[in-house]
Amino acid sequence: MRKTTQLLGAVSATALIVMSSSPAFAEGIRAGTDITNNVTVQYQVGGVQQTDATDSDTFAVDRRVNVDVTAIGGAVNTSPGAQNAALAFDVTNLSNDDIDLALTTALTAGTAGNISNIEIYLDADGDRVLSAAELAAGPITFLDEVGTDVTTAVIVVGDIDLAAANGDSFDIALVADAHAAGAAGLGTELTESAGDSTDPSVVDTVLADGNGGTGEEIDNDGADSDENTLNVQGAQVTVVKSSLVVSDPVNGTTNPKAIPGATILYCIAVENAAGAATATNINVLDDLPAEVDFDSAFGIFVDATATIASGVATCTVPSGSSGGTFSAGGGTGGLDRVSGSLSDIAGGSTGALYFQVTIPAATAPTP
Amino acid sequence: MTKLTKIVAAALVAALPVVPVTAQEATAPTEAAEPNVSLQSDVKAYKETTDADGNVSSELVEPTVFTPGTRLSFGLSYENKGNSPATDVTATNPLHEAVQLAPDADPALIVSVDGGTTFGILADLQVADETGATRPATHDDVTHVRWTIAAIAPGESGRVAFPVIIR
Repeated sequence: MRKTTQLLGAVSATALIVMSSSPAFAEGIRAGTDITNNVTVQYQVGGVQQTDATDSDTFAVDRRVNVDVTAIGGAVNTSPGAQNAALAFDVTNLSNDDIDLALTTALTAGTAGNISNIEIYLDADGDRVLSAAELAAGPITFLDEVGTDVTTAVIVVGDIDLAAANGDSFDIALVADAHAAGAAGLGTELTESAGDSTDPSVVDTVLADGNGGTGEEIDNDGADSDENTLNVQGAQVTVVKSSLVVSDPVNGTTNPKAIPGATILYCIAVENAAGAATATNINVLDDLPAEVDFDSAFGIFVDATATIASGVATCTVPSGSSGGTFSAGGGTGGLDRVSGSLSDIAGGSTGALYFQVTIPAATAPTP
Repeated sequence: MTKLTKIVAAALVAALPVVPVTAQEATAPTEAAEPNVSLQSDVKAYKETTDADGNVSSELVEPTVFTPGTRLSFGLSYENKGNSPATDVTATNPLHEAVQLAPDADPALIVSVDGGTTFGILADLQVADETGATRPATHDDVTHVRWTIAAIAPGESGRVAFPVIIR
């Protein structure tokens, strides 16, 4: 009976070892695992086989702490006033034991006054984008009970001040520091075991991490970090409005002059500077001088092609598409208003709106 | 089992008339064989020191660190405390699966890669891969290490060892 029990015990112990050791090999044998070295010696004396001599030696595997923080993707473009401008990171436990990871951020470059509310959120679905649900879950300051080889995606966000300008950039470092796992919440920080513990049954802690080059932590301190950059890209939009006399009642279209009865083309060109973020939702409003009449037969053209040279906008006629709105008396002070929406204008591109007006004969001064 | 048989044999012999002679003959080897091979299994760490001339020497010290990747020496010290030579000595050391034989182990070391069924030098051993084809065995495949010592004279002692790396 006893033998059977022992046999069963031995079998299940072996099975346990196999199960527990197979997944742990990526980062090594799990801390606390007892490694027993058994030796059996068989020998003869006087030609007679003797009872086997055996001995064993047991030690426990120590805890080797290693952490990796990796920024995902390159620098991220954002804009002045952006809320929750996001940088994605991966945090990996490369230790041979479960650990807690304290997460902190540091602004390593950029004007601190122009960024605020730097927080860390769990990227629960790992899509590198902060979803409404992830935002609602609230910011985090640590990862609890991170298993060996487990990678956790997090997102670091910050609010960009409106005072931030095109070309501003912010380097944000994420630091993950190893703490003891076990209890709920963040455990105590793991430190290198002092002295040379020669007691092989004690699980010592060895800090074997590198450093992420951010200056926020060093080799073998149980922490790793990485940083990424938020580049502020404001749209830099300039508007130039120019007029061109198309025809007059005397000269026709040949060298026309702005005399009463003349037709004038107004070209409103919107330019977004090279390197700037794409300008969107552009709406052009133009209140006409009281002295001119809107040429409703000609209409309004939006998304037209135009160039700006020496402060003068020149629209290509015809180009773009018919659109926009004329509102008689709809402008400031009861002036007639021409308005029109333009499609998005990328950095380095120009969009335009053009229309025609006539100079009424009635306003012409009496000769 | 062997002992039991011997006791039975001795009892049988005692029942026979020619008791004294045989009994003495039977007990003589038992007395002579106070076979006492003592064993001491140990684990040591390698400590490398560089002298003024830049020569690196390695010595065995008490290990302090047992982290994955650490290189250790698994040793076996033996001593024949008896008064007869021990012969045909084989010391078999199954490797815990948390350690692997270090790649710089003596190529002449007798090892097994099949759980102790067959033994040989690593270069001669093959293992089956997932597809059933065989490939040369590597240090990672070693399951047992075995030493064979022809004889240990009374009073003789020694130590054998092999290097391992914690997985």
